[in-house]
Amino acid sequence: MIDPALVQSVIRILFAVVIVTAAYIISTRNLISLVSVYALQSLTLVLMALALWSLEGATVLLAIAAVTFVSKVLIIPYFIASIQERIRIRRDIEFHFLSPTTSLLLSMALILFIYIALANILEGTPARESLFFFGAVIGLSLMLMGMMVTFSRKRAITKVLGYLSMENGVLLFGMFVTELPFIIEFLIIIDLVILVMLTTILTVGLDSTLEEYHQRLHRFHLVGDTEDGP
Amino acid sequence: MNLAFGLYLVLNTAAVLLIAPLFVSIIKKVKAWAQGRSGPSVFQTYLTLAKLLKKETVYSSHSSWVMRLTPYVSIAAVLVAALFVPLVFVPEPVGGIGNIILLLYLLALARFFMALAGLDAGSSFGGMGSSREMSISAIIEPTTIIVFAALVFVFKSLNVFDMFAASAAAGAPATPTLILLGISLFIILVVETSRIPVDNPETHLELTMIHEGMILEQSGKNLALMELSAAVKLTLLMALLINLIVPFGLTTTLAIGTIAVATVLFVLKATVLAGIIGLFESSMAKMRFFRLPSLFAMAFFFSTLIIIIEVFA
Repeated sequence: MIDPALVQSVIRILFAVVIVTAAYIISTRNLISLVSVYALQSLTLVLMALALWSLEGATVLLAIAAVTFVSKVLIIPYFIASIQERIRIRRDIEFHFLSPTTSLLLSMALILFIYIALANILEGTPARESLFFFGAVIGLSLMLMGMMVTFSRKRAITKVLGYLSMENGVLLFGMFVTELPFIIEFLIIIDLVILVMLTTILTVGLDSTLEEYHQRLHRFHLVGDTEDGP
Repeated sequence: MNLAFGLYLVLNTAAVLLIAPLFVSIIKKVKAWAQGRSGPSVFQTYLTLAKLLKKETVYSSHSSWVMRLTPYVSIAAVLVAALFVPLVFVPEPVGGIGNIILLLYLLALARFFMALAGLDAGSSFGGMGSSREMSISAIIEPTTIIVFAALVFVFKSLNVFDMFAASAAAGAPATPTLILLGISLFIILVVETSRIPVDNPETHLELTMIHEGMILEQSGKNLALMELSAAVKLTLLMALLINLIVPFGLTTTLAIGTIAVATVLFVLKATVLAGIIGLFESSMAKMRFFRLPSLFAMAFFFSTLIIIIEVFA
């Protein structure tokens, strides 16, 4: 059996990694590294689920780790990276409302706010002292930081990444605070996969007519050149 | 002042002067490898400094005493600052030595005089360098203060010696706060030593130069002193990072055996860190001037987070 104190300190380190990746996702402009950092963040969650499993022994955590690994570390990042390669967008330099610096400062305030709010809510309960309190704080913060990415970016593909990291926040929160039923987690992941597939459409152009859309698909090499164009 | 402390003063200064040029060369070497060149030898910086020390110093006819004084102020300030950051042996602190706020101000003093010297000769390049350096330092200084404040909160001491002693006693536990602090300190290191996302240390013919622009008018011995103080500054910031984050080997007892082991370990760790800096520099392009605050904001963000955690938890 692994020493629980060691596992707890590993989990604390993973929290730090999650925060670092979240900050990177908020502020970077390079799409390729954005996707790999998202994959890293998901991998961190997988490791965290495994660490929690070694603490608590609940099999559902193993299942969550497996599903997260397959979907969020392998399939989704691969899919987004391949879309990205085809549409040849490498950078997202356009921001709505907030610049990355402002977003970072704002997320700092958010974390502080969540920390104080949760500390007040959980005051006096045994949960206040445990690791689960930190898990809740970081999960909620990650969610809100993902939301900030979603509304401060202009490109659809980064909006989707913001959404995905928001979902990672939900997963983290669920893992630590409540026992999220596995079926719901599974459904969320199916949703995510469909969402990422829809990204193709969003990224290439939702605003276009059907004919224009076909042309765009050709221009971005999303359908093979052997097919007939419209 | 006791014997151990006196020994420390002499040994630390000698060590820092001796090994500082090495790390500059290692970074250059790693960058050259990353570009597919073989690069200069790792002892090239020593040879360059030796050559410069033999050369005659030329002053512009427009320059004043500031130009003549700056190299000495710069090397003096940096060497005193280097005393605040023990490389391998941590004695009991005496007087104000080791105070982290004083350390910050010593570095600021060197930088202030360097900027003045850039302006002094009246060349437009120097003026631009100084103006950029001051704009950047106006933004990075609050960040540095916050990072140092986070250090103070984590180690519950204003003295670098106490921090090092605490981290050495704790061994090498990678706690989350230390990881975040390490990232912040790394960003500070890159900015303070004018490395790539902020400044390009390779060239002084580009319009983007900052640090090289300011020392463009320096020559001969003075240039050697400026280069040496830049190298010492790099080493002391590296030592700060290394001895806080991976302190194993750092010793608090004055014994030849442990100090020898600690020295070897320090040189190894610093070589690895120099390699990391070289790879980091090779992997990114210089940032546009107005994008720099987002880099600093990262360090600011992590340190504030640490302070929040330390204050509330």
